[in-house]
Amino acid sequence: MLALAPDAASQKTATGVSSPAKWSAHGVTSEVLWGECKGSGSKPYRACVDLSEPAYRCSCPSRKFPCKHALGLLLLWSADGVPAADKPADWAAEWMDQRRDRAEKQASRLVAAQEKAAQPATPDGAPPQPAGAPDRRAAQREQRVTAGLSELERWLADQVAQGLADARRTGPAEWDALAKRMVDAQVPGMAGTFTRLSVVLGDEDWPGRLLGEYALVHLLAVAYRRAAGLPHALGETVRSRIGFPVAREDVLASPAVRDRWDVIGSRDEEQDRLVARRVWLRGRETGRAALVLSFAPVGQALDASLVNGTTVDAELAFYPGAAPLRALAVRRHGAVHAGPPPGPSAAETPGLLAGVLAEDPWIDSWPVVLSGVVPANDGGWFLADPGLRDPGSDDEGGAEVSGMRLDPAAGTPWRLLAVSGGHPVTVACEWTPRGLWPLTTWDEEGQVVLL
Amino acid sequence: MIATPDLRWTAAWEDLVSAALVGTDRRPVPGGRPPSRADTADTADTVDTVGGAPVAPPVELLEQAAVQVIRARAGQRPHRGRPLPPAPPETRPLVGRAAAARLERILAGEQGRLLPEWLEIAAERGARLPARLIPRLLDLGARDQSIRSHLGVLAGARGRWLAGLNPAWSYLRDEPTGGAGSAEVWEFGTSGDRRAHLAALRARDPEAARELLAAGWDKETPEDRAAFTRILADGLAMGDEPFLEAALDDRRREVRQAAADLLTRLPESRLGTRMAERAGRLLTRDGDRLRATPPRACDSRMERDGVRARPPAGSGQRGWWLQQVIAHTPLSFWPEHLGLSPAGITAMEVGDWAREVRMGWTRAAILQGDAVWARALVDVEPLTDLLAILPPEEQSRIAAEFVRQHPVDGQMIMMLGGIPRPWGTPLAKAVLDKIAGVATAQPWNAGELARLAGERFDAAAHGQVARLAELPEVHEVTTTLRFRHELARELLDDTPGPLDGTRAEGPGGAPEKRRTDDGHGAAGETGGPLGEEDK
Repeated sequence: MLALAPDAASQKTATGVSSPAKWSAHGVTSEVLWGECKGSGSKPYRACVDLSEPAYRCSCPSRKFPCKHALGLLLLWSADGVPAADKPADWAAEWMDQRRDRAEKQASRLVAAQEKAAQPATPDGAPPQPAGAPDRRAAQREQRVTAGLSELERWLADQVAQGLADARRTGPAEWDALAKRMVDAQVPGMAGTFTRLSVVLGDEDWPGRLLGEYALVHLLAVAYRRAAGLPHALGETVRSRIGFPVAREDVLASPAVRDRWDVIGSRDEEQDRLVARRVWLRGRETGRAALVLSFAPVGQALDASLVNGTTVDAELAFYPGAAPLRALAVRRHGAVHAGPPPGPSAAETPGLLAGVLAEDPWIDSWPVVLSGVVPANDGGWFLADPGLRDPGSDDEGGAEVSGMRLDPAAGTPWRLLAVSGGHPVTVACEWTPRGLWPLTTWDEEGQVVLL
Repeated sequence: MIATPDLRWTAAWEDLVSAALVGTDRRPVPGGRPPSRADTADTADTVDTVGGAPVAPPVELLEQAAVQVIRARAGQRPHRGRPLPPAPPETRPLVGRAAAARLERILAGEQGRLLPEWLEIAAERGARLPARLIPRLLDLGARDQSIRSHLGVLAGARGRWLAGLNPAWSYLRDEPTGGAGSAEVWEFGTSGDRRAHLAALRARDPEAARELLAAGWDKETPEDRAAFTRILADGLAMGDEPFLEAALDDRRREVRQAAADLLTRLPESRLGTRMAERAGRLLTRDGDRLRATPPRACDSRMERDGVRARPPAGSGQRGWWLQQVIAHTPLSFWPEHLGLSPAGITAMEVGDWAREVRMGWTRAAILQGDAVWARALVDVEPLTDLLAILPPEEQSRIAAEFVRQHPVDGQMIMMLGGIPRPWGTPLAKAVLDKIAGVATAQPWNAGELARLAGERFDAAAHGQVARLAELPEVHEVTTTLRFRHELARELLDDTPGPLDGTRAEGPGGAPEKRRTDDGHGAAGETGGPLGEEDK
C-alpha cells in the first residue's frame, strides 16, 4: 500500500492519519473508498479513492499526490478499519460520476480520432498533408536538421582522423558546445547523447566506449541523410531518435494492442529538474515489451497508476518505429490476478534481443523476463538456466551452466540471491549493452519483490 | 544512447580502437578495404551498402566500428560458470503476510524503534522471515548485536546460506538456530548451536553440562571457551569451583575474567576467600564511618583473581584497584566484617574514595545479582543495571517513585530506558502523570517520555490510555501502543507455534481473534474524540 506514496515523508505522515480515531463518515463499496478526516481546519478533509484504478481525490490543499489523507484511508482500509456500505456517500458518488463522465468523453474523442485516422489515405498511399504555414515550418526544420547533421558527420570524421587520444581532456567542453549547436539545429536527440557522453570517460575502457558512441551517432546521421532508401518503420525510428516529435493524438489514434500486461519494473530518473518515470510492461499473450514514460517536476507526484508486480488488462498504443517500445495506455479494463509473468529461458533471450537489434540497431535498453533461471557467479554475476542435475549424484556445485551476465555496476544482487536461494526464479530485467539490470522477481508465495 | 560494447575480446575491434586513438591521418584503417576473412565478410557488405564507395578513411573506420558494436551487442556470448549450491529447505513456517507487511513498514522508518520487539516476538514464535527481507536485516544485525539472536532463528536456512556468501554476515553462524538440540549438535554444530545446546543441558543438569564442557575444553577456541564459561552462571554451585579456579590460568583474558566473575558469586570459593582477605584490609569501620585505604600495588596474584591492573583513561591507579577489589569481593563478606546490614553499610560516610567504594559495591551487586544490595544502592542512585536485578513489580514501583519525585532529566530517561517492557501499572501511571505535568513547560521532555511510554507500556492498554487525556503527547503514546498491539496480534495469530507445523486457522482460534478485533476497534473509537467533533 505504501508503495503508492510519492515519497518516504508521505509514507510517514500517512501512517499518522491511518488511525481510526481520525476518521468519520467513512465507508467502502466495491468501487470506491471514502472518509472524512479531521485536519487542522474546522471542516474535515474529504478523501476518496477509486479502487479500480487507483485514482484519488481529497479536499485538502496538499500538492502531494496521492496526499496523506488518501494514503491513510487506504492503510486503514487495508487493516479492515473501514466499514462496508451499500452505496457511497453523496459527495463520493458525485466524484465517481464526474470521473465516469470524463472517461466517456475521452473515449468518444478517441473513437473520433481513430475514425479520422482510418479515413482512406490519398491515392498514392501518403497520408493527407495539411497545407500552408505548418508545411513551410516543417520544411524549414528538415533543412536545419540536415545542415546540423552534416556538420556533425564532418566533426566526427575530423575526430577520428586526428585521433581520440585527447578526448579525455578536450571532450567535455567540445561535447557541450556540440550539444548546444544540435539544439539550435533542432536535433534534440543528438543533443541529449552529447550531454550524457562524459559518463564514458569514467570507464576503464573509455576509448572503446567512445568509439562505439561516435560510430552509432555517425550511423544515425548517415541513416537520416539516406532516409529515402530506408524501410518506412526504420525511417520512423531514425526520425524519433533524432528528435522529431510524435503527437500524442497520433499515437492514441493508431491501432491499440490489447493484452494482459505485466508491470515488470520501473525506474525514476531526475534530469533537468524533471523526474522521468519509466515503467516497463510485457504482454502475456503477445509477448510484446512496452515502456510507458511519464514526467513531473521534482517534488511532485508522478503517474502512479501502473503498480509494479500487477497485471492489467489494457490497450496500449505504440509510438511508431522499427522496434516499437514506447507506448501509451489507451484504455484500461481493470486489474487481473495472474502471478509471475511467463518468459523465455536464459538461452532463448539473446536470440530475442538480436531480433530487436536487427530492427533498431540503436536500442540500448530493452525489458526482458527470464523464466526459471538461477543466479550464478564466475567472477561476475549472471543468470543461467539451471543445469540438468543428475538426481543420483550429490555433487554440490553441479555441472557448468551458461546464461546472461548482469551489469557489474548492479553489484551483488543480494535480494535476488535471497529470494532464489540457488533455486530457479522468474526475473524481470532491463537489458543494456553492459549486461542485465535486475528489476523484479517473484518469491515462494508468488509475491512480487522489487530488486 | 550510451554504448558499452563488450568487445575487448575481438582483435578486430582492438585494432579499430587503436587506430581511432592515434587517428586515421597517422595510421591506416585496419585492413584498408575490409579483410576477406570469413568472420568479416558481412562487414565488407555492410560498409559498401551503408557508406557507398569510395569512402574517406575516418568514415570507413566509423562504419566498421558501428557494425562491430551492433554485432557484438546482438551476438553477446553466453557467460559460463558454476551455479551456486542450492539453499537447503526451510524447517520453519513463514510469518504471515500482515506481519511481514508491518515489518516492512518498520524498516521503512515508521515506528522504527519497535524493530527489536517485532523480531523478539517473531523469534519466540519460531517463525521465518520472507526471503526478500533477509539481506536488509542481516545488514542491520551486522551493526546491532542485540538483534542477532533473533535473526539466528528468523533468517532460517536461507539466511545461513546467504551468510555463507557474505563475510559481513558471518556472525549468523554464532547464533543458535533455535532447533531442537541433539548430542550431534555438540560435536558438529555451529558455535551458536553448541552454545544453545550447552545452555539447555546446564538448565536440566548443571553437573553434566560442566563435565561435557571440561571433557573437550582444550580443543575449544578462545571465543567459545569464554562464551561457554559464561553459560555456567546458570545453576552455579560449589561443584563448579575447581573447574573455574583452573580457568583462572587460561591463556585468554576473556576466559579468565568470566571465571573470576563467576567465582565472586561463591563466597566459599578459594577466590572468594582471597578477595575477602584483601578487601578486609582496604575498607574498615572507624566508629560511625568507614575508612578506605586503596592498595599500593597490583600484583600478579590480584590480576589472576580478576583485578585489572590498567585503569581506564582518566582514572587514578590506586582508586581503580580499590574499586576492582571491592567489585570482586563476595558481598556476603561485608555485613560480618563491618557489623552492619547492607542498608546500614551503604548509608555510612566513607570520606575519601567514597566514589570508588560505591562503584565497587554497585559492580559487585550487578555481578553477583544480589537483590538486597541492589535495593540498598538503588535508593542512592537509580541505575538501570541495579534495577534489573530486582523483580519486575519492584522495579516498576521504585522507578514510579523516582519519576514522581524528580524532575525529568537525562538520568531519568536513561533509567526508564533500561526498564524492559511491559511496564507495570504504577510506573505507567506515574509516567503518564509526568507527561501531563511537563507537556506545556517542557514539550521536548514530554516527547521523549511519550516515546518511551509508547514502546514500554502494555500494548493491550492502548484503549485505556487513549481515554486519559487529549494531549498530543498522549495521542502519540496511543498511536505507538496501538501499533504494538496490532504487531503482536498479527504475529501471534498468523504464525503457528514453533513445534506444531499446523496453521492457526482452526475453529478454536477464530472466535478469539474476532473478540480481539472488536475490543480493539471499540477502544479506538471511544478513545478518539479527536476525530468526531467539529462536524
